[in-house]
Amino acid sequence: MRKDIANLKYVFSPKSIAIVGASDNPAKLGNVILKNLIDGAYKGKIYPVNPKYDKLLGLECYSDIKKIKKKVDLAIFAIPAHIVPKVAEDCGKKGVRGLVVLSAGFGEVGNIKLEGQLKKVVLKYNMAMIGPNCLGVMNPAERVDSIFFPFYKFGRPHVGGISLATQSGAVGSCVADLAADYGVGFAKFASYGNGTTISDADLIEYFGADPKTEQILVYLEGTKNGKKLLEVLEQVNKKKPIIILKAGKSKSASEAAMSHTGNLAGNYLAYQAAFRQSKVIEVDSVVDLFYVANMFSQPLPKGGKVAVLTDGGGLGVLSADALEREGLDVVKFSKKTKQKLKKVLPEYVNVVNPLDIVADSGTETYRKSLKVLMDDPKIDSVIVIILFQAPAVDSRIIDVLVKQSDRRKKPIVVVAVGGEYTKENRKILDGYGIPTYGCPKSAVRTLKKFTDYSLFLKNKK
Amino acid sequence: MIVGKRHNMVKKSSLEEFRVLEKYGIQPLPYGIAKTPKEAVALAEKIGYPVALKLVSPQVTHKTDVGGVKIGIKDKKRLLHAHEDILEGAKKYEIEGVLVQKMARKGIELIIGGKKDPQFGHMIVLGIGGVYVEVFKDVTARICPITRTDVREMVGELRSHPLITGIRGMQPINLNGLYSLMVRTSKMMVEEDMKELDLNPVIFDSKGYDIVDVRFVK
Repeated sequence: MRKDIANLKYVFSPKSIAIVGASDNPAKLGNVILKNLIDGAYKGKIYPVNPKYDKLLGLECYSDIKKIKKKVDLAIFAIPAHIVPKVAEDCGKKGVRGLVVLSAGFGEVGNIKLEGQLKKVVLKYNMAMIGPNCLGVMNPAERVDSIFFPFYKFGRPHVGGISLATQSGAVGSCVADLAADYGVGFAKFASYGNGTTISDADLIEYFGADPKTEQILVYLEGTKNGKKLLEVLEQVNKKKPIIILKAGKSKSASEAAMSHTGNLAGNYLAYQAAFRQSKVIEVDSVVDLFYVANMFSQPLPKGGKVAVLTDGGGLGVLSADALEREGLDVVKFSKKTKQKLKKVLPEYVNVVNPLDIVADSGTETYRKSLKVLMDDPKIDSVIVIILFQAPAVDSRIIDVLVKQSDRRKKPIVVVAVGGEYTKENRKILDGYGIPTYGCPKSAVRTLKKFTDYSLFLKNKK
Repeated sequence: MIVGKRHNMVKKSSLEEFRVLEKYGIQPLPYGIAKTPKEAVALAEKIGYPVALKLVSPQVTHKTDVGGVKIGIKDKKRLLHAHEDILEGAKKYEIEGVLVQKMARKGIELIIGGKKDPQFGHMIVLGIGGVYVEVFKDVTARICPITRTDVREMVGELRSHPLITGIRGMQPINLNGLYSLMVRTSKMMVEEDMKELDLNPVIFDSKGYDIVDVRFVK
């Protein structure tokens, strides 16, 4: 691993942070970040840097990074672009190991020379740099947070296993905000912006080696080094699932192709090839990034045989349609399972898959029939559809699901379509690591990707 | 450098350049260019009947419009007759010769292609080929080099994969042939540093395949 990439540990787990460009004006980034670190209970040392102040939010403020006597692991830059290379040089001399450069105004607006200067300085000192032109990093476990969005506007995910590398700060923050809302935890967050020295492949490599990271999410518009990216994807995806969203799929018009192949193979086809080759999980929307990651809280399925348990016929049929479309198997129940189900179900229930236990069934019927499905080794995963609207269903169903989910026998995926009451219950389930979806289609599409990844790992062995 | 013109592969330098393909064991459907009826007969006998005849003229773009394409010619008598017809139909134009090519088998038309991508380097493409290739856009790709396993997966990724693996009593195409052709093509793309390549169509049946047309840019 390159030295500056290894130094990312000082970016994600610094013992001390300097905020260059700290401010007392609540509209300034340098104020929001400082406030967030203090309010977020970051345990290390915080050093505001700005020659205008002696004190900021009760902390001693330094006129210059060089004036800080103690060691600084990470410096967060909220300063104008033109002075960034100079301050980076000061940081290098002082022995700072990590930089997060939020400042915009580099290559993305044509200032390629300025970005080149910055790159040279950063590599000279082997500093790990995130940015410039980015939102920076989060490490919820250690309360490290350079995101300049106030707490009340942008929910911070709690501690968990998801790490995200995103080229776009906007997309990344939406995923994190969604995760926070659903109670799904994060290990590391990195919005890398221009990715001048540390970019997509480097972060994926780092997350691959990070013991706290269980799943890796990537939002990518374009890479600078496709070969390296493919190599890293192939290596890391065998150990940890990589879920990737590629934007910018429209064909590049810059090249006049001479052949059919040239015409067919727009820029995206090469990315798609690399993703298929490395068997990473490709998704095509922001919410899907989150949906797939969320399913990894369940055990991996052994195969594609799916049982559907529902108290509403229509949603069962919709699920069966979606399963067939995605190439998953609406398994036929075995004789033994049918007999067991008949014993626990009312006479009028037709014992077939999807199993519709009808709307007047209560939590108890769910409990008994779900147990039968979970005990059948010929069923690889179970979709449980819950009409929270029905009078006989109450919150005790959560207990039923959690008990079966805790057996870790096969994945349970919940579909619950509805308004406020349903959403409340979904959040509770998600918080327990039982992924819920607002429609059969997204549940099934996600289950398919989850199953494919599981089969990929199985075939590798 | 561009080798081969779409639909006829008769550019003059092409014979030389096809040696490049042969180096990798990639053999286009045998063909030759005849200047006289006698040469046409000799070529057909060397290649083996049935053959197709195609007019070679720099002035004619749509050969079929002037009766410049005759297919399924089974013997010498029919060949001489067809040859005469072609010359008659094109007498107003400059004629370079007549292309004699072995008749391609009937089967599934695939396209095998390659491209050098600015980020990922050489890639190889497999798709449903023929005239409608850019309508259906049923293609999938891999970054070179590839293995037979990659090709097997690629086949499964095509929307029309049942055409390849066989539907309702239809025999699957010669998959072994497809796998090795793809692996060889991938090797050639990289070693010859090709910018773009088309083998289109490559016609497959259960026994093997014929590469009807080749075109590449180096």
